[in-house]
Amino acid sequence: MNPAAIKRFLAGGAPFFIFGMVLLAFLLVPFYSTEQISDFNAFNSLQSASSVGLLALAIGLSMIAGEFDLSTVGMYALGGMLAVKLGADSPLLGVAAAMGAGVVVGAIQGGIIAKLGISSVPVTLGGYIALLGLTSVISSGESVAYENFDVGISLDQQTLTFFSPRSLIMIGAFVLVAVLIRWTRIGRDLRAVGGDRRAARAAGVRTDRILVGTFIATAVISALAGALLSYSIATAKPDPGGAPLVFAVTAALLGGVTLAGGKGTAAGILAGALSLSLLQEIFVIVATPDYVSDLVLGGLLIIVVAFDAPRLKSRMIAMRSRAASRRMAQVAMKELKQE
Amino acid sequence: MSGAAVGAPEQAAASRSARKVILLVLQGLVALAGLVILVGAITTQGFFSVDNLKAILASVGFVGMVAVGMTVIMISGSFVSMSLGTQAAVSAIFFVWALKFGVAPAIAMTIAFGLIIGSIQGYAIGAFGANPIVLTIAVVAVLEGMVVVFSSGGTQTPPNGAYEFLNDTILGLPMSFYVMLGVVAVAELIMRRTTFGRQVYMVGDNPLAAFVAGLPMGKIGAGVFGLAGVASAVAGIMLGAYNQGASLLLTGSLTYDAIAATLVGGTLVSGGKGSVWKTLVGALVIATITDLLLLRGYSTGVQIMVKGLLVVVVVIVVHLRSQGTRS
Amino acid sequence: MSDPVDNNALIALEAVSRSFGAIRAVDEVSFELRPGEIHALCGHNGAGKSTVVKMITGLVQPDGGTVRVGGEASRIRSPQDAQELGIAFVDQELSVIPILSVANNIQLGGVSEPFFNRPRRTRARVRELLDLVGLSDLDPAEPVAGLSMGRRQLVEIARALGRNAKVLVLDEPTATLSSAEIEHVFSAVRRVAATGCGVIFVSHRLDEVLQLCDRVTVLRDGKRVDTAETSALDVDRLVSMMLGDVPPEPAPTLPQEGRKSETVVRVTDLSVGDRTSGFSLEARHGHVYALAGQVGSGATEILRAIAGLEPSAVGSVEIEGRQLTLGSPERAEAGGVSYVSNDRKGDGLFLGLSARDNLVSTRLRKLSRGPVLDMASLREAAKGLADTIGLAPGRLPEPAENFSGGNQQKIFIGRTLERPETRVLLLDEPTRGVDVKGRIEIHGLVRGAAREGTTVIFASTEIDEILDLADDIVTMRAGRVVGRHSRSEVDAELLLAEMTHGRAERAAA
Repeated sequence: MNPAAIKRFLAGGAPFFIFGMVLLAFLLVPFYSTEQISDFNAFNSLQSASSVGLLALAIGLSMIAGEFDLSTVGMYALGGMLAVKLGADSPLLGVAAAMGAGVVVGAIQGGIIAKLGISSVPVTLGGYIALLGLTSVISSGESVAYENFDVGISLDQQTLTFFSPRSLIMIGAFVLVAVLIRWTRIGRDLRAVGGDRRAARAAGVRTDRILVGTFIATAVISALAGALLSYSIATAKPDPGGAPLVFAVTAALLGGVTLAGGKGTAAGILAGALSLSLLQEIFVIVATPDYVSDLVLGGLLIIVVAFDAPRLKSRMIAMRSRAASRRMAQVAMKELKQE
Repeated sequence: MSGAAVGAPEQAAASRSARKVILLVLQGLVALAGLVILVGAITTQGFFSVDNLKAILASVGFVGMVAVGMTVIMISGSFVSMSLGTQAAVSAIFFVWALKFGVAPAIAMTIAFGLIIGSIQGYAIGAFGANPIVLTIAVVAVLEGMVVVFSSGGTQTPPNGAYEFLNDTILGLPMSFYVMLGVVAVAELIMRRTTFGRQVYMVGDNPLAAFVAGLPMGKIGAGVFGLAGVASAVAGIMLGAYNQGASLLLTGSLTYDAIAATLVGGTLVSGGKGSVWKTLVGALVIATITDLLLLRGYSTGVQIMVKGLLVVVVVIVVHLRSQGTRS
Repeated sequence: MSDPVDNNALIALEAVSRSFGAIRAVDEVSFELRPGEIHALCGHNGAGKSTVVKMITGLVQPDGGTVRVGGEASRIRSPQDAQELGIAFVDQELSVIPILSVANNIQLGGVSEPFFNRPRRTRARVRELLDLVGLSDLDPAEPVAGLSMGRRQLVEIARALGRNAKVLVLDEPTATLSSAEIEHVFSAVRRVAATGCGVIFVSHRLDEVLQLCDRVTVLRDGKRVDTAETSALDVDRLVSMMLGDVPPEPAPTLPQEGRKSETVVRVTDLSVGDRTSGFSLEARHGHVYALAGQVGSGATEILRAIAGLEPSAVGSVEIEGRQLTLGSPERAEAGGVSYVSNDRKGDGLFLGLSARDNLVSTRLRKLSRGPVLDMASLREAAKGLADTIGLAPGRLPEPAENFSGGNQQKIFIGRTLERPETRVLLLDEPTRGVDVKGRIEIHGLVRGAAREGTTVIFASTEIDEILDLADDIVTMRAGRVVGRHSRSEVDAELLLAEMTHGRAERAAA
């Protein structure tokens, strides 16, 4: 492999490198604290990654397409509520209803954004508020219990030591998306739309279809995530709060997705999600207070955002150029003096 | 995000005639909704009572102040700050703590606090082009964490007495309403009559042109978010006084309500246009509809849902209309 | 005069016309492309070339006349239609996606691309196409972002070739290429033509046109001047066809009285990445300098670099003896640089704001007492500027987007005028998209600024404009300076010749 390809490989490996560091920190817990680690901790972190991980995948997909879907958390809530309300007898029906609602919501939002040319942020913000409201209406503002405990129990059954059907479903979703992006033309078109929409359109990419499809995907994935979570804890809550959004965006950014669009892989997002949930598990084991976890997560996101900021890079380039100019001038002065 | 996160993307695919039809349909729907609301208002018991109308005005106070900041941010092209509601709550906590130095010092310190927190965010956004939405989402997490560090998460209660004047009512309306009007007036003055205000409109209208023309992007960003920070701090002061205590719970849905008020007031999402007075109207519209729904017995869920749908519809209408004037 | 229309023509335009508002961009132009032919389309700026190209590639519809593809009257309503009709287009403005790899860019957007990726088949096809354009040493997995403009162009050409088109349209394909790369493009084009496809080659570079193409159609002022075999032509004849009747030379601007001859702006060895290198200039008080060059000559980059918009600019710029910090438009503005870009709508004007606000946008500090604006002074200043630029003062409150291109440009330039802080005025294509009347007015404004003592440096591709406005002319080609003349030494032919195939100035020993 040529050096440029090696460099690219390493750069693309940043999310996995990060995961490796976190894993190391996890394995070393017994050495720097009084606590022990066990298989159960690994299982637990995979469990907590199961739903927010899918949320990260959803938001990450919208970011790869050059947009930002704020309504994913709203769909998360609605999906969970629909699954619980309609899945009393048949959990599969509940999940199907949740995902079906996702298709409708995604199509509407995607249509508005693609066909009317409106930025995704205000549209999905309105969508977020409306979806939360709808969830509240369906549930009359209260948490709704899911009677069918067996579903949750079988979903969360420890299998293969670290996994459970729920985390396997999550991984399965990631694999499906990864295959679609890597092995079909959708991946290329998606990145093109995210990287430079004008150029993509000029090159002949059907940008509208890609956008609508992306928003449908994000809504469906978020709905699935919410449904699985609700079955697992046998409750559907009308308001998930702000934490899932912070987690999902941080996981996506750690996973190599950029705010500018066009970059990022499903595998990277998975690595980002696992890194964060493992990190949170470490905090639990070492019994750090909640606020430390909040601060670390928030601080991490700020650092990642700063690195992603466009004008920061051009400022650094400008500084380097000025240094080069100064050196040139000094050389010229020396030559002048020698004459 | 290919310019899409903050500001409109290029070249919509729907044809002109299709867009005109959609615009007409939506405007028709809005008119119809307005009619329904009017009929509803007339047929609802007690809607037009003085008490009820006062309640509507009173409820606009806190949201109005935060929405002032949100409006300035939107005009500058940074779309929104997701942290203004949290900043208000944190300012309230700070104010209650600072009351031990006396009311006037506490007010001054809180305003300075709000200014600093806002300016730092604004500088990063203006000078480096950091994404405002994601940055402010992160700031929420950090602020919440820091509050717990400093106050162990409980509710702060103020020392008795001196601040009570903030809760006075004048002509039956709470002080917060008048303070809000004051904040709106000052903000409008700044936006219309100062160099800074003009520069904010320029940055919002065309950030690239502003950058190329040599405008100080970092300072302008700091000013915009600093102003929003001050407005949120004032909201926090009034909230702290009103609740006679402060905790993070005060955030409530302030941020989203402020965004909704700004959008419903017709401020353009892409920036460069809008005014604080229009946001006040937006806040009143939302407060009125919410009040009407409440009086008619609809649940909070319905109120929230209607708010969300209203935001989407208004955003679309405003966007389509602004496109119509551009050739 | 005209050749008989060939019924085997791959694509034929029959007396097509197109107007944009009051401007008749294309006036009853007939054109046809025969199978296996390499047909050049030439004409000076504003001749209608780009509109004709847009008609063929589906970006614009003709108001009148017929378009025939393969003999059938067709409507090419979109780039998708064009692709389906077998027309492949490589635009001046590249549509490669920097983030994606070379291979992905080549496959991008092709209507016949399979849904599931076929890596082995793709690898082979991509290899073949890369060889065709001379990029055999390129790693197909490499992101396009790392490639020079020239190589990006070749990738885009490879994409067009890969679409099995019958008609290949290339718009200024060699503007950013090295001579070796140009040879590769020529061989690729010849190979494509040998298979029976037709190639439309739009270019300013007359030597290349004569070398590569079979026939050439010259447009001027929206009309077709002639279509001829290139074997019967030479550069001079082509130039005179493009320029038409050369109008009497306007009297060269005589040196102004009282113009100091001290150097105001000293540029030394300014380079911007690989796009321009080693640019130097000493610009004097009250003089107007033209950077004369075609697309890709580097003139725009030089102006942008002085204006602080090129972070990778290296070199030295001194204004009145003070070193200018590069890479920051804020510092440039503070240093006395006023910059009028070539894209008034994109990065120049504030379209949603009023004409008044736009005009005073650069002098707010002077019009305010402390932080507060002095509205009366502001209005007065705006009115004064409106008078200077010839804008009806009653129109000052209207948003800038409402004005015509010419008026918008006047507002854009107007905001830089009558400002003592401006030491040097930079203008990139000062009359792009402006009609004749507006052009005269703007030239008057620029000369007025020079008379007041401002140093003016402008970049232009329009020979008339350069001759009309400049005191001194620096011709540029392919990123380097190829000639320096005072106005009295040159004429249109010399300029065009240097701009299209001059040799680079040797770097100072």
